[in-house]
Amino acid sequence: MNLSRLLLLMLVFSPVSVLSFGGGQATIPEIQHQVVAVHGWLTDQQFADMFAISRAAPGPSTLIVALIGWQVSGFPGAVVATIAVFLPSSIIMYLASAWWQRNEKSAVRKAIERGLAPVAVGLIFAGAVIVLSSAHAGILALTTTAVVCVLQSATKISTYGTVGAVAAVYLVIFTLFHPLAA
Amino acid sequence: MPDSNEVVETFAVVPPLAEPAQPPRVGLLLLLRTFVRLGLMTFGGSVQAWVHREVVDRLGWLDNKSFLSGLTVAQVLPGANPVNIALYVGLQLRGAIGAAVAVLGMIVPAFCMIMLLGFFYRSYGHLGAVHFVLLGLAAAGVGATLTMGVRVARRLPRDLLTPLIAVTVFVVVGVLHWPMVPVVVVAVPLSIALAYAHEKRKLRHEP
Repeated sequence: MNLSRLLLLMLVFSPVSVLSFGGGQATIPEIQHQVVAVHGWLTDQQFADMFAISRAAPGPSTLIVALIGWQVSGFPGAVVATIAVFLPSSIIMYLASAWWQRNEKSAVRKAIERGLAPVAVGLIFAGAVIVLSSAHAGILALTTTAVVCVLQSATKISTYGTVGAVAAVYLVIFTLFHPLAA
Repeated sequence: MPDSNEVVETFAVVPPLAEPAQPPRVGLLLLLRTFVRLGLMTFGGSVQAWVHREVVDRLGWLDNKSFLSGLTVAQVLPGANPVNIALYVGLQLRGAIGAAVAVLGMIVPAFCMIMLLGFFYRSYGHLGAVHFVLLGLAAAGVGATLTMGVRVARRLPRDLLTPLIAVTVFVVVGVLHWPMVPVVVVAVPLSIALAYAHEKRKLRHEP
């Protein structure tokens, strides 16, 4: 374990955290720039591999920094990079949410609430379209989206049931159509 | 011909909210378990939608309006959206300790998972089955996102400007691919100013 490397991880990822407006996906290009071009910790190929792993892993996609920290300075590096990327933004979110809760009755909060709602709705649908188009969704993916949408609207099926069922169905389809690859 | 304020009032009828005024008291252990499961079973861009599914639709911990405010703040402020929304939900339900529990529940198990995956990547990363299943989960996530979108859109105030703002934001970000942050920086103050003007008008007419 190398203290100066841990400190450097902290110094690289904390500003990324504070400036990560727009969430995890928006930070990936900046992280790549810092890690590959500025500090030379990873090659482009290594970064691409880690990006693929972070996409395959559950939870927030920003967790890619855990893999980078591991590469740079082992397990302590993974922990430090994760803290550096989540703690500063969480403090900001905490302060904003706490103000929010304290001012429940204020006219300003009512106006903010009413004003934020349509922007949020626009962003929600925009996000759905962006994910579908970046995944080059075909008939199967679009069918999955539609079925999940109908199931969730019409029934009380749980998140875990939905995720498990979709994974099972896709495994079956894959096994039927690619017997050798599976 | 009715005057304009009457029109606004007529169209501002929001569907009745059959929701508790006060969030229920949720045990910390249950809060932790919920966010650990959500953090481990949901992926990338759609985590918020699954959180909405569990926290609002199934468990009834927060109402739509409260969740939506938190979601927008979570999206606008820096930080990973799933972590920010977990923090917001935890804080609403159980204060600072709840916020910490929800955030750790979202991050720590997912952290362990990505470490494991990184470790085993070379032995299973080439498997087509893995990529195929992930594609399915991404599509399912979009389904959850659309469900959430429809649910919250139906609760928007029924005036002229609100849907116009929602559609405009959708088109410029989702169709024209303008960067989100500048769009939000312009749309949010504008939308809030309009809402503030509406609140003041309402006060003046309902003394």
